[in-house]
Amino acid sequence: MAEKKVFGYADKISVKPGDDIGFYVHADGTRSVDAQLVRLIHGDAHPAGPGYREEEIACVADGMWDVRKQFTQVGAFLTVADPSGHLALDGSFSLCTFIFPTNPGGGRRQCLLGRWDAFGNRGYGLWLNPDGSLEFGFGDGNEVDYVDAEVPVLRNNWYFVAATFDARSGVATLYQEGVSTRYNSLLSKVANVDFRSHVRETMRFRPLNPPDLPFLMAGAQDRHTLRGTFVTQCLNGKLDRPAVFGRVLTRDELDRYRDTATAPAEGLIAYWDTACGYTERGIGDRVIDRGPNGLDAEGYNRPVRAQTGYNWQGRDDCFRLAPEQFGGIEFHDDAIIDCKWELTRTIKVPDLKSGAYAYRLRTGDAKGLREEYIVFFVRASKPTASILFLVPTGSYLAYANEHLSFDAEIMQPLAGQSPILSEVDIELYQTAEFGLSLYDHHADGAGVCYSTYRRPILNMRPKARMSSMGVTWQFPADLSIIAWLEHMGYDYDVTTDEDLHREGLAALEPYNVVLSGTHPEYVSETMLDATEDYIAQGGRFIYLGGNGFYWNVGYHSDDPWCMEVRKLNSGMRAWQARPGEYYLATTGQKSGLWKDLGRPPQKVFGVGFISEGFDSARPFRRMPDSWHRRASWILDGIEGEIIGDFGLAQGAAGGIEIDRYDLTLGTPPHALIVASSGGHSDNYQTVVEEVLYPYPGLSGSHDYRVRADMVYFTSPQDGAVFSTGSIAFSQSLPYENFDNNVSRLLANIVTAFSKPGKLPGWAWSAEEKQWR
Amino acid sequence: MTDSSAPIWIDPIDSQFPEKPGREAVTNSFLSHQVTWDETTRFTPKMYPVGRLRYYYKWPGHGGRLWSRLRYWPTRRRVLNIHGDYNLKTMRREKTIVDKRPIWWALALAALFTMPLFVPEGFRNTVMSAASVFAIYAAINLCWMLIVGTAGIFSLATYAVVGAAAYGATYLAIMLGLPWWVLPFAGTLIGLVFGVMIALPAMRLDGFYYALLTLGVVELCRVFVVQSRQLGSATGGLYGAPSYLPDGLSQSNRLLFSYYASVLLMIFALFIYRFIDGKRLGRLLRMAQEKKEGFAQACGVDFIRARIMVFLASSAALGFIGGFYAIHFGGASPNLFSFDTLLLSLAMLVIGGIGRAEGAVLGTLIVVFIDRVLIDLGPLRYVLIGTIMLSVALFLRGGLFGIKDQFRTWRDKKKSERRATRAEKGGEMLPEEATEMEDKDQVYFRRFDKMQRDFLKRLVSDAVIAEHQSRPLGQHSEALERLLIYFRRQGQIDKYAILVLEEFKAYRIVALSGHRGTAPRVVEDRNYETPDQAYHALFLRRVQDLLET
Repeated sequence: MAEKKVFGYADKISVKPGDDIGFYVHADGTRSVDAQLVRLIHGDAHPAGPGYREEEIACVADGMWDVRKQFTQVGAFLTVADPSGHLALDGSFSLCTFIFPTNPGGGRRQCLLGRWDAFGNRGYGLWLNPDGSLEFGFGDGNEVDYVDAEVPVLRNNWYFVAATFDARSGVATLYQEGVSTRYNSLLSKVANVDFRSHVRETMRFRPLNPPDLPFLMAGAQDRHTLRGTFVTQCLNGKLDRPAVFGRVLTRDELDRYRDTATAPAEGLIAYWDTACGYTERGIGDRVIDRGPNGLDAEGYNRPVRAQTGYNWQGRDDCFRLAPEQFGGIEFHDDAIIDCKWELTRTIKVPDLKSGAYAYRLRTGDAKGLREEYIVFFVRASKPTASILFLVPTGSYLAYANEHLSFDAEIMQPLAGQSPILSEVDIELYQTAEFGLSLYDHHADGAGVCYSTYRRPILNMRPKARMSSMGVTWQFPADLSIIAWLEHMGYDYDVTTDEDLHREGLAALEPYNVVLSGTHPEYVSETMLDATEDYIAQGGRFIYLGGNGFYWNVGYHSDDPWCMEVRKLNSGMRAWQARPGEYYLATTGQKSGLWKDLGRPPQKVFGVGFISEGFDSARPFRRMPDSWHRRASWILDGIEGEIIGDFGLAQGAAGGIEIDRYDLTLGTPPHALIVASSGGHSDNYQTVVEEVLYPYPGLSGSHDYRVRADMVYFTSPQDGAVFSTGSIAFSQSLPYENFDNNVSRLLANIVTAFSKPGKLPGWAWSAEEKQWR
Repeated sequence: MTDSSAPIWIDPIDSQFPEKPGREAVTNSFLSHQVTWDETTRFTPKMYPVGRLRYYYKWPGHGGRLWSRLRYWPTRRRVLNIHGDYNLKTMRREKTIVDKRPIWWALALAALFTMPLFVPEGFRNTVMSAASVFAIYAAINLCWMLIVGTAGIFSLATYAVVGAAAYGATYLAIMLGLPWWVLPFAGTLIGLVFGVMIALPAMRLDGFYYALLTLGVVELCRVFVVQSRQLGSATGGLYGAPSYLPDGLSQSNRLLFSYYASVLLMIFALFIYRFIDGKRLGRLLRMAQEKKEGFAQACGVDFIRARIMVFLASSAALGFIGGFYAIHFGGASPNLFSFDTLLLSLAMLVIGGIGRAEGAVLGTLIVVFIDRVLIDLGPLRYVLIGTIMLSVALFLRGGLFGIKDQFRTWRDKKKSERRATRAEKGGEMLPEEATEMEDKDQVYFRRFDKMQRDFLKRLVSDAVIAEHQSRPLGQHSEALERLLIYFRRQGQIDKYAILVLEEFKAYRIVALSGHRGTAPRVVEDRNYETPDQAYHALFLRRVQDLLET
């Protein structure tokens, strides 16, 4: 009997009562799990807080669910629907493509393109073989015959490769030439590397081309008794403009293809123009075939588009300027966008109070891997509350299933501590099927730019702790805000980033006040626009976190579960996009920091990212402006100057990731600093986007800028913004069962903000005439 | 280590909270991190120049030219296994013949075919008849090698099969008046029957017991033919088999003809060897050698079937050789079953090297040359053979053909011994080590890391450890902070981490694998009640590791 495990995901992250939501569950070692709908209230089991809290909600779907083992297709590739068998090449043929291998060799075979059955040795293919050399081969259902190149390909250089096969004589010829420009490859011509190889051999038999075999690019078909057919031999690297011909191309013709990427019309079967289809607003998963048969290819697990091609000249850094230079389409053998499991259960969402919910699945002792929460958020059918908690689901996606403790050497010095791993963290690290976060690298070293919720997200669960930092992070941390709203008895709704991205301002408009999550770091332009408009037309916004509104992300309109980011040149970033690959394939916008796009968070929220540190946190101390009557009401009932010298995140309210007031970055001139943290440790370093030259003295004990500012300002039509500037702030709320000065401070603000009309202190705006 | 005048460190960040007294901790005196650099910038070991002269020609790559590769028709095998690569010293493209054996074989076979031209007249009879014997024995040994080398079964029944086939074929020829060309095939059939007989006990017996059993079979055959009147007990052998030699050849041409016939027989045996050893069956057998059967079976290898197949195939081939023996020598003699024949053959295999075709052939050549050509030495010949065999057994691991590998292993051993005496562990790389490092950045890293560790070792003191215990996370004194930053910056392989057994109750120390998909390993079975205790225990382990390097 296998060890018992249960994992699952839902097809939606945000629903309204009456909507259908599908659950997809995988289980090992058991055929059924005990399912219970729960409302999630508090997610942090830290002894200083109220502990973990959930509430069971009766639902018709509760009870035992039949579950099964599910299989996941990992790896990105392209499929081609070819019902009339144009690609079942029984005569002579040629295959060619440009390729940028990122992880050749290493004992793994990677298929570039072909119709190959790795299980039955049938069909044909063009590969990088386990030694990292180009190889062309085919099988007759029994044996394989192949020809390989003279030298292995070198990683991160562009090549043009081709194979021709003459069915009459059995002669197969390989063609491999380097096509680097000065810009797009790892090595310059000064490195004296001869990339070329041209090898010819006479094969012993002809390929067998059964009709049921699919033509794939960047993968090949395999079979498993339980699982059926699946795709293996996935590629790490970029392809550009692959083509198939029904005849043998001459050396001259291939030379011309290499130089121009145009396919001769004679004998052309398919020519996938990877540079075709770009619009001002990006590009989708379909790769257009400009050959005579219209054999368009579809991406599986979202191969990365908008990448530089074999002919990128460095001058145009975006596909919008020179689409023909952006034919690169990048594949990773560990990419996962949608697990596409078999549906376990669909439920119609009952009439639930708006909030965070989960289907709790339990088996065995219901600990560790034997307990799963499939989290989703229920919106109000019709907004009635005046308070909205805006769940930063985009940021949850960014951190979904992060591997930092295990893979990132920088994580321990960054966090100033050794990681505390759980059984779940280890399971995540061992399981490629759960995919990676936007903080991880693919196995070939490239940063991960897509993350989705169509897969189990083991850290978007209550109770989860971020192993590298020893605190709760994102969703479980945000539950402290929900728990606070519950405890204080406020009437509130929740809505998610996804809804905000889809509906824009309309999602926020019905509410008097909107509360952010603790770390709303990843936002799309639509989301930022809506928030800005909301505040500008009288909305009140409480930014309850730090390092928010930081990265520009994109979503495709047809699959909102998948988010894209490109990390580039500046910002606290886990990876760095290659030159020329800074633009989002999903929207056509430049990604990176909102600050670098002209929209620093200070402009809308008064504060922006200044520093992070994870070894300690520090309390806030009242600033003189908090005695001004415009803001003094915020501190009503709070004694002393120190606020939040306690908390569930490193013991204080100011810390983890912290934001600062900065007029030069657009903090509204009338903003007040109500309180500031200070005295941060030297683990708090000034963020790189604020550093021009790094010099000794950019850390907490040296640099006055390293602090969290609570900032308050009013906006048009009785709107207002209050920002806490600290992630740890919200984790101080539950301290001593919510009876503390941080909780009091927030309550003052929420109570005031949720009432329509004038805000307290609005009238104290005359010029000062001081006697003291 | 703590002395009473140790300096006090004051937490600088507490200055921001004037209402409380600042935190103070005993710490170390300031020590410049440059002290180790100053101390170790001079290299103590003697530096030898490295680099090896390219005194031989190496083919460049084909570059843009088309390289048409030849195969042995109708197989997929290329005529020469040539590997192209980049010379990492110049990035020049070069080609290497990975396996030069086909060249040596071609030269050796050419030498065998032209050998009669170079034999001095006076020795012609001796040498040519010895050469035929060499080729026949080489053929037998090749088939034997399949059992002893490829399958790894110590069978001594080889000559029982050859002899039975020779006797049987001769007997049939005498009784039925068969023509000469039928005899090898008759021998093949007899060999097959024998193959079944000796394959069956191999199912149950192995090692020494199987060798004894097969030895018994040989002895049984010898006693049988010595006593059987029908098999020529009176004449000391059974003679009267037809000869394949055409009538009317001169004595020297007869010798020449039979020599070439024997060489062809050897080539036949080489093909048999190649087609069993070099194909699927050979791979299965090599995987399922004695004592490894269980593993092979667990991998799905049906080793019993494979062993039966190799016994049948090699016995049939040996039977064929037995039939050829009969038509070559005109019959069979009990000598075939004698113990000294067996031992001489064993000597051939051992001298050449078990498990290689070239070993079987070269060993046979050496032994037959001593035995049949150096007749003048008399019985001393056997002493010579014995001496060679003993020396091979004493000094060589894989016979003569294992010398190259053995030499390289020995050279590697010497290399690491010398390096161990010249270099400090984990210290500055020697020039010879640097030649093996593709990423030169690592060469500097080693220098830096060595000096840093030397420096950090001096910072470890009771005061620093006590300070860590009092607050594992947060701001630390300079000495402690330096240690922690170094520890945290280490590579992921075997880096310590903490495993939570029960949240806020039980923690344990593990070490990361540094390899995606591989879980951390547990390094000790102690549990700690709080994260702070676990942080400190982990710190102590790191300190200990540092001091031990």
